[in-house]
Amino acid sequence: MQRLFLMAVILPVFLFCAAPFAQAADPDVEQLKAELQALKSAYQDKINALEQRVAELETVQTAATVPAPQPIAAPPVASAASPQINNDLADLNTPVMPVQQQGVQSNTTMQSNPSAFNPAIGLVLNSRLASYSREDGSVAGFAVGEEGERAGEGLSLGESELIFSANVDDMFTAQFTGAVVSENGEDGIEAEEAYVQTLGMPYGTSIKAGRMFANLGYMNEKHAHTDDFADRPLPYRAFLNNGFNDDGIQLSLILPTDLYTEVGAGAWRGDGFPAGNAEGASPGSYTAYGRVGGDIGYNQTWRLGLSMLRGDTNGEGRVSGEDGEEQIFNGDTNLYVADAKYTWAPTGNAGQQELDLQGEFFLRREDGTYEDTTIASPATSYKENQSGYYAQAVYQFRPQWRAGYRYTALQAGDVPVDLAGGVLDGEGHDPYVHSIMGDYTHSEFSRIRLQYNNDHVGRETDNQFIAQYIMSLGAHGAHKY
Amino acid sequence: MKKFLGYLCFAVAFLSAPHAEAAINIFACEPEWASLAQEIGGDKVNVKSATTAQQDVHHIQARPSLLAAMRQSDLVFCTGAELEIGWLPLLLTQAGNSKVQSGSDGWLMASDYVQRLEVPARLDRANGDVHPMGNPHIQMDPRNIAIVAKALAQRLNTIDPANAPYYSKRYADFSTRWQAAMARWNTEIASLRGTPIAVQHRCWSYLINWMGLTMVTTLEPKPGIPPTSRHLAQVLEKLKIQPVKAVLYAAYEGDNGVIWLSDKAGIPAIQLPFTVGGNAQSKDLFGLYDSTIAMLKARIKP
Repeated sequence: MQRLFLMAVILPVFLFCAAPFAQAADPDVEQLKAELQALKSAYQDKINALEQRVAELETVQTAATVPAPQPIAAPPVASAASPQINNDLADLNTPVMPVQQQGVQSNTTMQSNPSAFNPAIGLVLNSRLASYSREDGSVAGFAVGEEGERAGEGLSLGESELIFSANVDDMFTAQFTGAVVSENGEDGIEAEEAYVQTLGMPYGTSIKAGRMFANLGYMNEKHAHTDDFADRPLPYRAFLNNGFNDDGIQLSLILPTDLYTEVGAGAWRGDGFPAGNAEGASPGSYTAYGRVGGDIGYNQTWRLGLSMLRGDTNGEGRVSGEDGEEQIFNGDTNLYVADAKYTWAPTGNAGQQELDLQGEFFLRREDGTYEDTTIASPATSYKENQSGYYAQAVYQFRPQWRAGYRYTALQAGDVPVDLAGGVLDGEGHDPYVHSIMGDYTHSEFSRIRLQYNNDHVGRETDNQFIAQYIMSLGAHGAHKY
Repeated sequence: MKKFLGYLCFAVAFLSAPHAEAAINIFACEPEWASLAQEIGGDKVNVKSATTAQQDVHHIQARPSLLAAMRQSDLVFCTGAELEIGWLPLLLTQAGNSKVQSGSDGWLMASDYVQRLEVPARLDRANGDVHPMGNPHIQMDPRNIAIVAKALAQRLNTIDPANAPYYSKRYADFSTRWQAAMARWNTEIASLRGTPIAVQHRCWSYLINWMGLTMVTTLEPKPGIPPTSRHLAQVLEKLKIQPVKAVLYAAYEGDNGVIWLSDKAGIPAIQLPFTVGGNAQSKDLFGLYDSTIAMLKARIKP
């Protein structure tokens, strides 16, 4: 709850603080004008002298370096203009200055403006309509975190995001992502990401610190609005509570090789699923990853990765489920992920047509105790392997239209006798879901999607229909491969 | 763990070594700048073009291969003016290469040096995917190439002073040949002046401006939004009142709408190379202009 409403506090404070600046600007401008006038007169003599010298030395028009945007009028004029350009451009000692600095009419209106250095602000609106045929969305054999549960039915505001980003200086860049969440009828803004990242470290290293989605598998570090389907595949829901984000520090290193090779590791507070209830100074979770990737000709691109996440719980452990029907895990979790991505686009022109294949395999080892209040079980020793995967294909057959299919499945571990009949007991049923989706991208800032899930996460089939829109307003960050 | 780190350090040192004395690595976002970099840099530079003439530079993904290239680059040489905004900023932050960050010597944006056209007075994405800093497709005016060539030569002299005489000599040579070619082109295009044309996307504005053509309409209803059949029908109606001699589109663009309109209106659809590598003749910048002018003169009936 502490992070909830953080933005709600920051925004009014920010606006309140910013207001005086707007008023204070006027005297400053006056003062600047006066100083500028003084400078002008001081340099006027020098400028006059220089101008005279320039005029004596050559009759070249200074405008030649900056051709005014007008056509070559007619061939005679054009050929007369060319030698002048030639004179000026041939001499490398006269520097070519960016148009902004030439003092001529500038391309954009870059005036002294207090808001000029405001961070880039982007807003992603993501809203949905969902209809389910099964009453209950529980995943057989798994204690799923709150975010990983089936999303609410009916019309709802999905995961809308407010993104602020800017370079802090030449050394750091920073980003804040606030997720608008509705929980139990209450709206709030959660700090989903708030991190700084280094820009100029030696040897291709980069350090990210703060709260972020860890580099883990393929989808984990991606924002939900860039996903190809309206919901995350089962292993993300069951093992990562939709995505592992936590407070921490992450180091990454891109090797100076022609084959893209990146390795990295992170240490985390240990509040995020699958850890829980961090306390004390030492980190509760660690991640490590390695990735390679490249192109095959101009048509194909691939990336392969291996990563792992280790999380320890503390104190009361990691709690899933509703009040009174809780599953509490205490112990260590080791999660191993292998991911693969492949894209094919004719001539590499993804704007026209593209086939996108993606898949990830997860193996989770839990070693500790589970307690299930649904069946009033004692804390029972639990040491099991669970696995899950998804594979998907998305085909963009026309510039604005895509269709996709995804299959995802989970395999639960054996159930100790004391936990039989509880949430961890899937009664031999392994969850799986078939999904098909089609979406229309009007411009790169808007997308409308329809999805059907033939969902077998429980014994009873759940026919799910989801309609979704994703709209990007303002500054829109680039998407990573 | 310590042992592993030791190996890792060794591996990094080993892999970095071959690059220590190698040429200047130039990461060019578009083929025209890769070609220009090769003209000026000769064998002192390694040039990688992030895109080809067959790819739409508005829609490039920050692919692993580009990250690897960015990581090793000494100079990032791109169009700028937010043309590459969908992928270049991400490559810069992810690659963690301090030499090429925005504002450093290893950062050269061609469009900073030329007078840009079509800077919008009003910014609203209801007008499509507008470029707030003006039309970025500056390479189709040879006068711009001349200016950017000089900026590049000066930049190479700055980041690689040991080879400055080499770059200066190559620049002088290029400049002489370019001026001569421009004089020739200016004569050749005289007959095209005032020709009314239609375009698919507003990526020909600099060519139109240089040649003095008249742009009547665009096939895209708004920049970045593909032509719809309804809009094409409206364009066809407009062309009945205001006829054009040709419709221009680039090597990377889809041609469904263009071919349809060309058939209905009975005008040639001319697919121009747009950048180096856009057709077989456009092997370098000279070939790009030679080919563009030749195609226009051959297909446009006076």
